[in-house]
Amino acid sequence: MKLIEALELLKRPAADAPRLEVFLACGFTPLHVQTFLAAHLIAAVPGKRPHIKTGLFGDLAGNLERLDPSGIEALAVVIEWGDIDARLSVRSLGGWRPAQMAAILESADQTVARLRKAIEALSSRVPAVVSLPTLPLPPLFSARRSELSPVEAHLHRTVASLAESLSRQPGLRIVNAQFLNEISPSSARYDVKSDVATGFPYTLSHASAIAAVVAGLMHPPSPKKGLITDLDDTLWSGILGEDGADGISWHLDHHSHMHGMYQQMLGALAGAGVLLAVASKNDSGAVDRAFEREDILLSKSDIFPIEAHWSAKSESVERILKTWNVGADSVVFIDDSPMEVAEVKAAFPQMECVVFPKGDDAAIWALVRRLRHLFGKSVLTEEDTLRLGSIRAAGALRDLDPSAPGSADDFLKTAEAHIIFDMNPAKDDLRAFELVNKTNQFNLNGKRFSEAEWRSLLSDPESFLLTVAYKDKYGFLGKIAVIAGKTQRRKVHVQAWVMSCRAFSRRIEHQCVQYLFESFAADEIVFDYLATPRNGPLQEFLGEYLAAPPAPNASLSKDQFLAKVPELFHQVEGAVNV
Amino acid sequence: MSESISSRQSPENERLIRCFASVFPSLSREEILTVSSDSAGNWDSLSTVTLAAVVQEEFNVEIEPEMIPELNSFAAFQNYLERAGAGK
Repeated sequence: MKLIEALELLKRPAADAPRLEVFLACGFTPLHVQTFLAAHLIAAVPGKRPHIKTGLFGDLAGNLERLDPSGIEALAVVIEWGDIDARLSVRSLGGWRPAQMAAILESADQTVARLRKAIEALSSRVPAVVSLPTLPLPPLFSARRSELSPVEAHLHRTVASLAESLSRQPGLRIVNAQFLNEISPSSARYDVKSDVATGFPYTLSHASAIAAVVAGLMHPPSPKKGLITDLDDTLWSGILGEDGADGISWHLDHHSHMHGMYQQMLGALAGAGVLLAVASKNDSGAVDRAFEREDILLSKSDIFPIEAHWSAKSESVERILKTWNVGADSVVFIDDSPMEVAEVKAAFPQMECVVFPKGDDAAIWALVRRLRHLFGKSVLTEEDTLRLGSIRAAGALRDLDPSAPGSADDFLKTAEAHIIFDMNPAKDDLRAFELVNKTNQFNLNGKRFSEAEWRSLLSDPESFLLTVAYKDKYGFLGKIAVIAGKTQRRKVHVQAWVMSCRAFSRRIEHQCVQYLFESFAADEIVFDYLATPRNGPLQEFLGEYLAAPPAPNASLSKDQFLAKVPELFHQVEGAVNV
Repeated sequence: MSESISSRQSPENERLIRCFASVFPSLSREEILTVSSDSAGNWDSLSTVTLAAVVQEEFNVEIEPEMIPELNSFAAFQNYLERAGAGK
């Protein structure tokens, strides 16, 4: 982004748009980083007007130690070598004699310890993004520039240790130096003239690159949920129908190694909870035989469902989306045939559809890296590893004949279902925050929360947070529902309620309402309801109890609930942490 | 033959007006043509540095730090760019 484009973007939000309060902590003149950060945030969070405060020049650690994070929604910390010891900045003339190196290292270690303490304390109260030094160290070491000196190695180790420690903090994200290297070459980052004249050390392109990455980490796009892959000349090299299960390959000795790498990446994604499915024009028996090969890197158990037949790919994709119960915009489709990709794209314009670049190792490598970006998550939760199993179980439930007398009751009665309620779990419960921000169908009002908004909602003394986990004889679904709200006397006001689509058809939502009535001894529940284009299942649920389409602030009395609640077969376990 | 940057209708003049409009969004086009640090109440040291950076990037010219205080009006920028050959 050019500076003029950034300045023009700043004019875009309406004057009465809600402010996005950000603190930019840096030791240099914030100048264009401040402008670019605001511009990239406007692009990342449309409808908000970033308001970026900064601290004192030359006192990064002090700025962080003095900062009161109340009212701040995000913190950006941009560290340069001069913040670690002023003698590592070109603007300082503190001396570069070899005899001073020990003192520089000692001071650097002390400052980094101070920065670590301050950032850790702040990140427990406000979401933070940290950029570690990105500029070249000045030539103060006795070795040639091409040789790493022990002093320089010590400084790099000190910063790496800070990064390692901070990266383990919940609510804190570190800018990946390797990624930044790709988008902003190190030789084009430092502007010595600007540094000396104004105290702003970055070229405009580097300032924009840092701001873009920081803004992207403050408000990352939702990761994709599922990947649908073709088989022939994609998951493996060769045509199964012609070459047979033993003739297809993914190895160095067959010059097909990059297909093996693609398999390896899909295996890694599956392990991280990404849904994988196959859409292939093939004989299903032949596909089974291929997956029986011992050297295949992707297990058949990682994939569900497998659509192997001769019908149109778009039909396969439609069935897969229905099985997964996710939207097309959350899915990536990969096939080596441009025609198949075009056919699926025409049927699902919101889906990311990619031609697998068979025979082009560099392009496959780029695709594998892109997949990591599309599906990347800061932290994996237990639920990520359970997702596929629960979708298989949900498939079994959907396969029941609903017209058979008592079939749902019979199924649920014998499911050995347990619901585990946890009232007021830790406020930094990542899974609860994640569920609220990604669930569409069973969602009370579609409201998305920033980390700061979520923390603020839960900090109200009258507020409560209820998380709901589920297990039955088919497996453990993990935490599948979240309810947040307030209580006043015998009334419960539900402000957020989401439930994963994996948990549909188990009457968990009915048990949730019953739990609210019982645990708060309430007579009435008021729902902060809003219709959204996608929350039909929630509308239907409330509508059944209210005998009418729900309206904003819909109220449900205990008597109304008890008159209509179906038989519930769950064993209920509840923890109340007050 | 290319137009001089000081010609009111030249593309370079339009680019310079866009630079000024990005830094001083409250000024009209006509006000920009006659603006100076004395006439614009919000023309401070920060806007001077920002304006210089925007113009350097847009016109691919290097403005020496010691020149920046002299670039205190739209006309001064026009003259500077003219001398730097940015309008040719």
